Amino acid sequence: MAGVTASIDVLERWVPVLSLAVLYIFAVLPVAAFWGLAYAIALSVASMLAFNFFFLAPVHTLTLADSRNWFALAVFVVTAIVVSELAARTRRRAREAALLAEIATSLLEHGTVGSELERISAEAARALQVERASIVLGPGARDGVELFAGGRRVGSIRLEGGRSGDASARRRLLPALASLLGVAIDRERLAGEALEAEALRRADVIKTALLRAVSHDLRTPLMAISTSAGALARTDLTLDEPDRADLLATILAASDRLDHLVGNLLDLSRLQAGAAEPEQELLDLEELVVAALDELGERGRLVEVSLPDEPAAVRVDAHQIQRVLVNLLENALKYSPRGEPVRVQVSAGTSEAVVRVIDHGPGVPSDERERIFEPFQRGARGGEAPGAGLGLAIARGFAQANGGRIWVESRSHQGATFVLALPATEPVAMAR
Amino acid sequence: MSGARVLVVDDEQQILRALRTSLRGAGYEVETAESAEGALASAALRPPDAVILDLVLPDGSGIEVCRELRTWTSTPVILLSAVGEEREKVAALDAGADDYVTKPVGIDELLARLRAVLRRTAPSSEAVITIGELVVDLEKHAVTRAGLAVHLTPHEFELLRVLAVNEGKLMTHRSLLGEVWGPAYAHESNLLHVNVSQLRRKIEPDRAHPRYLLTEPGAGYRLVDPTAEG
Repeated sequence: MAGVTASIDVLERWVPVLSLAVLYIFAVLPVAAFWGLAYAIALSVASMLAFNFFFLAPVHTLTLADSRNWFALAVFVVTAIVVSELAARTRRRAREAALLAEIATSLLEHGTVGSELERISAEAARALQVERASIVLGPGARDGVELFAGGRRVGSIRLEGGRSGDASARRRLLPALASLLGVAIDRERLAGEALEAEALRRADVIKTALLRAVSHDLRTPLMAISTSAGALARTDLTLDEPDRADLLATILAASDRLDHLVGNLLDLSRLQAGAAEPEQELLDLEELVVAALDELGERGRLVEVSLPDEPAAVRVDAHQIQRVLVNLLENALKYSPRGEPVRVQVSAGTSEAVVRVIDHGPGVPSDERERIFEPFQRGARGGEAPGAGLGLAIARGFAQANGGRIWVESRSHQGATFVLALPATEPVAMAR
Repeated sequence: MSGARVLVVDDEQQILRALRTSLRGAGYEVETAESAEGALASAALRPPDAVILDLVLPDGSGIEVCRELRTWTSTPVILLSAVGEEREKVAALDAGADDYVTKPVGIDELLARLRAVLRRTAPSSEAVITIGELVVDLEKHAVTRAGLAVHLTPHEFELLRVLAVNEGKLMTHRSLLGEVWGPAYAHESNLLHVNVSQLRRKIEPDRAHPRYLLTEPGAGYRLVDPTAEG
């Protein structure tokens, strides 16, 4: 204002002083735009008084000689008020637009409307100049102002502690807010449906895999049994004693395989039904490894074992963890080339007891390292080995039920290392 | 046909063992292979009189093995297939396999099928084919059943001729359509179904229970002698 006054002082030599009063607008405008109407009016009046004092006759008094000057001053104040009101309104609109843009962004960036609701409410409260706003979603929400989008009730908003003068702001802001929420809700619903469709598709893939697995893995031993038994039952075949023994051995081996498969299917369904409650007891992991090797019989002897000096104390379900180990070992034996030993290393750390099962098979490509733990999935190179692809899924299920983890480390053509890590327990307790 | 050499191809040890012992007991000489490559090598080295071939092999499919074998030998091939492998099965039949059995197959059925394919190793070149009560005169284009004349349209006769020449052999839709109507009609299954139905009206004593012209669901048809054993 002082700057404007000085300028007028300079300019009044060439221009009629009254028309220069309009220059005060330059001082009032930014104030109106940034601080609001109240400051703008105060500044307008101050400007008017200063103009009167310095430039209008009688100079250096606040009285006016010419009554026309009063009129000019009044016009000036009104102009200042109108301009500052316009500026304030523009600022409000800008703030509302910014709010809507921010809400739109946060709804687009973050997945769910529900989790963003609190922030949106706070923003809305700020824009509408109330103390608190709370939004409730759903067509049944009727608490406060209802929010409609496309003729559909998306929810309601309750405003507390606000001034009543902001009705026009509400009229502008609330429908836009409702539309945004409506779009976000629709987007969420569509995303949910897509997810459901994907889940169905995956379930379908698993069903197909199950059908193939059952078709192949049940029928193969069944056929071996039925062919062998059929041959034994026929009287027109020439079978000597070794032939008969061979057929009987085939029947027994195939029955074992069927039993194993049925056991695996049962384990898996127990895990998927959440019925695999572990009965945990304090054990040395070494014992379980030894028991697993024993269960493998002849094949267990193809495994090189290295055990730690300290006991690896764990609190787990013995049966379940033995299943995990047998499945990991069977997997390793299955994929190892003949003559290449499988190695097992047990180590006891402070936080975890770890078993590593190392084979020299084809390894697991990085994009399959998670997939192979899903039921009925087999590695791309798994086609050569028998099995329904249940072993690893069951191993991971039981490991997790006991608070452990299983993963595979692999370098292509250098074999795979399956790692079982179980939470370690104080070995002191073992000594007792 | 005892003494005939049979090549068994399967990657499952238990099945190989069971089949080897059983077939030897039935008087066959048995060769085994566990892969497509092994099967082709064995067949080239010691040409078998028949092949029992698993449809799914670790290093390839039975379809490829069939196709490869058919480039140089007409030795009969019986497929071992499982439920869920229908499409592969038909493709292998189209590639030249003679028949299929579905796992788990008992030894009785397998021996019967084996006997059947070995029997027709030399396709009939006679002018008159007799199948049970059915007599097909290829030269005169005349058909009788139990001595009574059966009147067929040219396509029906052609269909019966192809089936009779390949008596007992499973003929796929594609191969029948190709031989009777021409390769351009290979996918006109309707044409085939209608003519089979007409043919049955004329040659089957009881259409509700066909005994000559049998349907192999999803695969094709075969003409059999209902009076023949096993």
